[in-house]
Amino acid sequence: MATLALERQGLSWALLQNKKFVVGAIIFVLLAAVTLAGSLTVRPEDRRSGSLPPRLPPGQQALLGSDSLGRSIAVQMTEAVPNSMQVGLIAAALGTLLGALIGFISGYFGGMIDALLRILIDVFLSVPSLLFLILIASLVRGLGVQAMALIIGMFAWAWPARQVRAQVLSLKERGFVQVARLTRMNGLEIIFRELMPHMLPWLGANFVNAFIAAILAESGLSILGLGPQREMTLGMMIYWALSYGAILQNLWWWWLTPVQTLMALFLALYLVHLGFDEVSNPRLRAQG
Amino acid sequence: MFTYVKYLAERIVILIATVFISISVVFFVPRLVPGDPMGAILVKMASVGGSRGQSALVEEYRRRFGLDKPLWEQYLSYLRELAQGNLGISIASFPTEVITLLRSALPWTIGLLTVTTLVSWVLGSIIGAVVGWQGRRSWLTQAFVPIALLLYTTPYYILAIIMIFLFAFHWRIFPLSGAFSTAARPELSLTFALDVLRHAALPALSIILVSLGWWFLSMRSLIVSLKGEDYILWADAKGLAPKRILWRYAFRNALLPQATGLAISLGHIVAGALITEVIFAYPGIGWVLYNSIKGLDYPVIQGSVLLIIFAVAFANFVIDIAYPLIDPRIRYSQAGRG
Repeated sequence: MATLALERQGLSWALLQNKKFVVGAIIFVLLAAVTLAGSLTVRPEDRRSGSLPPRLPPGQQALLGSDSLGRSIAVQMTEAVPNSMQVGLIAAALGTLLGALIGFISGYFGGMIDALLRILIDVFLSVPSLLFLILIASLVRGLGVQAMALIIGMFAWAWPARQVRAQVLSLKERGFVQVARLTRMNGLEIIFRELMPHMLPWLGANFVNAFIAAILAESGLSILGLGPQREMTLGMMIYWALSYGAILQNLWWWWLTPVQTLMALFLALYLVHLGFDEVSNPRLRAQG
Repeated sequence: MFTYVKYLAERIVILIATVFISISVVFFVPRLVPGDPMGAILVKMASVGGSRGQSALVEEYRRRFGLDKPLWEQYLSYLRELAQGNLGISIASFPTEVITLLRSALPWTIGLLTVTTLVSWVLGSIIGAVVGWQGRRSWLTQAFVPIALLLYTTPYYILAIIMIFLFAFHWRIFPLSGAFSTAARPELSLTFALDVLRHAALPALSIILVSLGWWFLSMRSLIVSLKGEDYILWADAKGLAPKRILWRYAFRNALLPQATGLAISLGHIVAGALITEVIFAYPGIGWVLYNSIKGLDYPVIQGSVLLIIFAVAFANFVIDIAYPLIDPRIRYSQAGRG
């Protein structure tokens, strides 16, 4: 269902023509670049608590202020944003990969395998994965950022699997796949040579979707007290701010900084997602 | 009728599979962690100060769940206990049954979730239909779409934090937390009811606003895509009033995918609402869960997770089986959430 433009000039060209994608991507890259560049300028002693006077509002002494323990908010951000993005990246990669695999197998082979996998997909779609994550994280406490990302990714496959399965079902009956079958290509070859290129925009949209869900899951777990206690993520920043009563002490810079960053991040990712959607589904574009 | 029976059977299979798989996950996950699950929990308990009657608790668990028996026997006795509605005993507030703790929290969660979900679904659908009907250039579209986009991409608990700051801390219109004032006595009176409503206002509003954004966006795009359909053009050519076409033709048809959307996102809504409860210290299941996480009360964590999964699975099932009944055209063979 790729558009003509998509087929002629390729996916990246089509995406760069899409305003939503470009705006979202710019916000995302800016967030990543600023915090990563910032993390290069941070000296180890800046990370310690007490490196600044506590409860300092944003100003000359501290760009974004400090928390009750005298830690710089700006320094925390240089750690938290890349870490949260890392969670999104790892979990989304794992989830999309697993999902694509399961969806391909289910849609392509059909029959009993499909019937069983469909039930499994439906089950994991209807159960909020956050609950399983709570269960696991409350048993194995003190997980690091990467371990959490992997666990989140292991429960993020249901949605991509369903999408990919539906796409494979519709692509399978098209002429070029039938031709490929007649030439005796085997199942895997058909999947990767013939079907994969058509699935790329869908996989992109799914990847971004999983990215959003993973950051949501991470911040949700963190607020429940199950986040990576020794590292900083946006969720953990909110957790610390809430548990030290930042709202009631009117330390607005403490909670507002991670909160508005999360909002900007979600908005950026959603715009990128819309961009992928519109590129892969030209009917959406007409609606504006 | 035959196809409906088939569809129904399929849904029942999904329901049973959901319940069975989640019970199995809940059972096997703690056992994948090396060591005696009860022992591990008790060590953790001891490290945070211990609890009364530890040995009595261990004994009770060993007796009920047969922790010294082979795994499959444990699994069977676990299923048997669950079938009798037994979710185990709380560690932190021993010897209270988990089910008792959950039972007192459940009404708050159900009340909050039902009201907010229905209100946001109905309101979002209506506003979305009106704005979608107006077309792209109308000021309504220009004004509502960006706001809805922003609301939808904001997680419930983020909006909850902003709400607390604005309406409970800055302007002090609503209380900061809880479900009723500490001074109030739960009773059937107008003052108590008003007190409960005042406390529920902010949690409810933050859930409603976020979901409203989504229902608005999805209904709007449904209406926009239906506008080009032949039967709408035909109704227009017949000279029917636009209002009639919108509500009797387009809206009614768009309600079906909108109901499917509700079934799909139910789990998502519930998970978000649980964390919203934590932010507001609202005494529902989410708050119980939060406290059991803090208190390392694993049986309660397990119990609340299971209870929530069952509730979501059942609600999903109800929407699913009602769905073909409201849509006579549906092709049952391909029915489901597609």
